[in-house]
Amino acid sequence: MAEEAVFDLVHMEAVSYVFQGEKISEDEAVAKLEHMGFATGYRLVERLTRESGRFKDELDIMKYICKDLWVTVYKKQIDNLRTNHQGVYVLHDNRFRFLSRMAAGKQYLQYAPRYLAFTCGLVRGCLANLGITCVVTAEVTQLPACKFQIQVQRG
Amino acid sequence: MTIYNLYIFDRDGQMLYYGEWTRKKQSGMSREEEAKLMYGMIFSIKSFVTKMSPVDLREGYLTYCTNKYRLHLFETPSRIKFVLNTDVGAQGIKELLHQIYTQVYVEYVSFNPMCPLNKPIESELFAAKLDEVVRQSPAYASRPA
Repeated sequence: MAEEAVFDLVHMEAVSYVFQGEKISEDEAVAKLEHMGFATGYRLVERLTRESGRFKDELDIMKYICKDLWVTVYKKQIDNLRTNHQGVYVLHDNRFRFLSRMAAGKQYLQYAPRYLAFTCGLVRGCLANLGITCVVTAEVTQLPACKFQIQVQRG
Repeated sequence: MTIYNLYIFDRDGQMLYYGEWTRKKQSGMSREEEAKLMYGMIFSIKSFVTKMSPVDLREGYLTYCTNKYRLHLFETPSRIKFVLNTDVGAQGIKELLHQIYTQVYVEYVSFNPMCPLNKPIESELFAAKLDEVVRQSPAYASRPA
């Protein structure tokens, strides 16, 4: 329990740190957080997959993200994974860790994307190091549930 | 056994939250004035008790009783004060206040990035969880005793 708290609090502070300063725009700040997440994810996945063998295919990698990565970082699995088999994957988390203590409904909805940016970067970084280039976006309609959409860029 | 209302004060005496379940008589003054009056009183009582008590104190929890109600004060190590008014026969309030602090305040305020510290609590989730914890406690009854 103690270790989980530290990550939550550091993340909270990172978000408010990045938004300091009057001239900072929402997009710039969110981009910084995403970049932080990318670098973290890139190195993290190296460490987490050192024991496991190579992945069979892209879907296998996505399942790894939904199960093992989410459990390691957020102590739970992704609740739902959807794909159109054309390179678009949507991950549903019904109780996202960083949002679960903020609200249960629509309060603070406009601020929710700030707390998802780091995670988007994290997923993007993990996939990048596993050989998948992609764009990750997040969407919230009702806290604490959120959706991450992964769009794979095929060369 | 009934729970009447709850005040939460921060370490400087500012009221962070007021919750009400059963209140039959209003004090006739604004909420801010009422909060200041309440804080002034518990501050004075606390310093009085610290000086005049003939026995060693168990820190953190204080309660006084009148004919009509009982007031409980729970002060956390971070000097947040929870003041709960209940009817005279309420039991187990120390545990309830501790539970409110750990399971509701720490979870939904300290860990809520949208709640600025030392400002009044506006999170609806906090209010909902607090209500849930209070209603579930054995000290709460829907009919006043």
